[in-house]
Amino acid sequence: MRSIQGRLSLGLIAILVLVSLVLVQSSLWLFEAALRRTLANNLREEAEGLLAAMVRGPAGPQLDPQRISPRYDRPFSGHYFRIELPERVWRSRSLWDASLDWPPAGGLAEALIDGPQDQRLLTYAADYRRSGVPVRIQVAQDYRPILDSFTRVRIAGLAVVGVAVLVLLLLQRYAVKLALRPLERARAQIAQLQQGKRQQLDRDAPAELQPLVEQINHLLQQTEQTLERSRNALGNLGHALKTPLAVLNSLTLHDELAAHPALQADLREQLAQIEQRVSRELGRARLAGEALPASHFDCQAELPALFETLAMIHPQGLDLSWQAPPGCRLPWDREDLLELLGNLLDNACKWADSQVRMSIETQPDGYRLLVDDDGPGIEPERRAEVLGRGTRLDEQRAGHGLGLAIVRDILASWQGDWTLADSPLGGLRVDIRLPRRSAAR
Amino acid sequence: MRLLLVEDNVPLADELAAQLTAAGYAVDWLADGRDADQQGACEPYDLIVLDLGLPGKPGLEVLKSWRALGVSTPVLILTARGSWAERIEGLKAGADDYLTKPFHPEELLLRLQGLYRRASGLANQPLLEVGGLALDESRQLCLRDGEAVALTAGEFRLLRYLMLHSDRVLSKTQLAEHLYDGETERDSNVLEVLVNRLRGKLGRAVIETRRGQGYRFGGLS
Repeated sequence: MRSIQGRLSLGLIAILVLVSLVLVQSSLWLFEAALRRTLANNLREEAEGLLAAMVRGPAGPQLDPQRISPRYDRPFSGHYFRIELPERVWRSRSLWDASLDWPPAGGLAEALIDGPQDQRLLTYAADYRRSGVPVRIQVAQDYRPILDSFTRVRIAGLAVVGVAVLVLLLLQRYAVKLALRPLERARAQIAQLQQGKRQQLDRDAPAELQPLVEQINHLLQQTEQTLERSRNALGNLGHALKTPLAVLNSLTLHDELAAHPALQADLREQLAQIEQRVSRELGRARLAGEALPASHFDCQAELPALFETLAMIHPQGLDLSWQAPPGCRLPWDREDLLELLGNLLDNACKWADSQVRMSIETQPDGYRLLVDDDGPGIEPERRAEVLGRGTRLDEQRAGHGLGLAIVRDILASWQGDWTLADSPLGGLRVDIRLPRRSAAR
Repeated sequence: MRLLLVEDNVPLADELAAQLTAAGYAVDWLADGRDADQQGACEPYDLIVLDLGLPGKPGLEVLKSWRALGVSTPVLILTARGSWAERIEGLKAGADDYLTKPFHPEELLLRLQGLYRRASGLANQPLLEVGGLALDESRQLCLRDGEAVALTAGEFRLLRYLMLHSDRVLSKTQLAEHLYDGETERDSNVLEVLVNRLRGKLGRAVIETRRGQGYRFGGLS
């Protein structure tokens, strides 16, 4: 997943590097061109000076040493000349024993030639006529120091560019961070939403994010309303179906039917099946599952009421206790969790002799719920049966199979896992592991 | 024992009223939440069976207003809304028990019996045992020294009420209020006849007369 920050940095670096390279290189080029023009002028003047140094001597033309700059005498000074007459050639003394590969063309040569001692020479050639005699004067100047300084300038320029890129990058990071702060806030809020720590995103967002925030809030609200509506409708449907079922149940007890026990048994059996089916499907349809990211279950607020209800429904004086980490909030729908725990605990209460205990533990990768009782337990061979299908282990204790079927539905919708084990209390332990919901990182 | 049945479904209410009457309860039936709100607060009911989806006023609201008025009558909620979240709502509103539809009539009777025993501070055993006598509420029989004594419906109701309130002297008016529903004419002679018949079956000491005050359960001792 690439971040906006990364993309912006990458773009900025690319543009910055490209622009500064072009800038450094083109300014060097322009500067060098101007420099060469100046040097060309200098070299032409040198050539003309040399021409002027040619004097008529007793044995034809000769160079007047007085008029020649001393730098043409110092060996390898970096200043050289060559004067070519039809019958003779003069070389500057500074050339010493080196021979140059003078370019044949006139004017300032485009290319540099190799000189002695690794020098790079800029050459200039001009043709004159002196007393009717053609004279070709070639002068050369060492260009190496300039090349070296250009290199130094280029390196310095690159260093400046590098530092500038770095500084700009830091500034940009800071600026982007500042500009993206609302996004970061929205991200944190969505994470809180997923953990059930908030119900809505803050409406106070910048204009660019406003539609997004409003849309998310709207969706959340709509999901919640839809869930509530459908739960209501299911409640009404349940009411509409179950009341007649209750009437039918009661009618089967009438004396007229009691005279036909087989018929009565059949009727009751069928009614029981309808009842189970209706309860199961309605129960399943009520589940919110993971539809609502903002849902949560506040243990400290909900568990006491749940346990009071259990104590009311099972008045045989059981010792019911629970423990949960302080401030524990489970990121699932309140009604779903109540249904899960209610059914498990209800089941435990039906079987327990005297004690039912529940504990919630937070673990790095999720939550662990333990429900223990001190009842008869279930033999290991039969446990898979309970986990696997809607089996009723004990037909006499109503709702046993159904409650566990709903537990199974809830766990399936949460990708939870459960096992049955021996409880330290002596009865059955139901061990549930719930994975943490994928929160936005 | 007087029981208020609040249920808007007529066929179910008919069935329940018949079964509850057969089980020895004096049943008043109401279908509207507003009526229930009023009547439950002023009549001395021993038990209330309350449906939640009522016309006029929702059952939970009715229950809350009873509790706000200080009505402490045990209330059993009988509803199709069986989710745990809804059960907890019911408890918070002040319910004492919760039974979801559809249910087996026997279970309702057992729960009502248990609920009333708990409310009266008695242990919830199969038989109601007080002062050496045992009462089998499901068969409406009295057991004296292991020997079953058959009772008529009226005798059963009176004996049960006396046994459940064995620590109190009950006036004829009180007894009439709790043994007969709102429709029946209350004739104190009928009560005297029942008291005499019970004394005839179980011995004179079983019901003491406190002149000017009323009756008290005396047991076998």
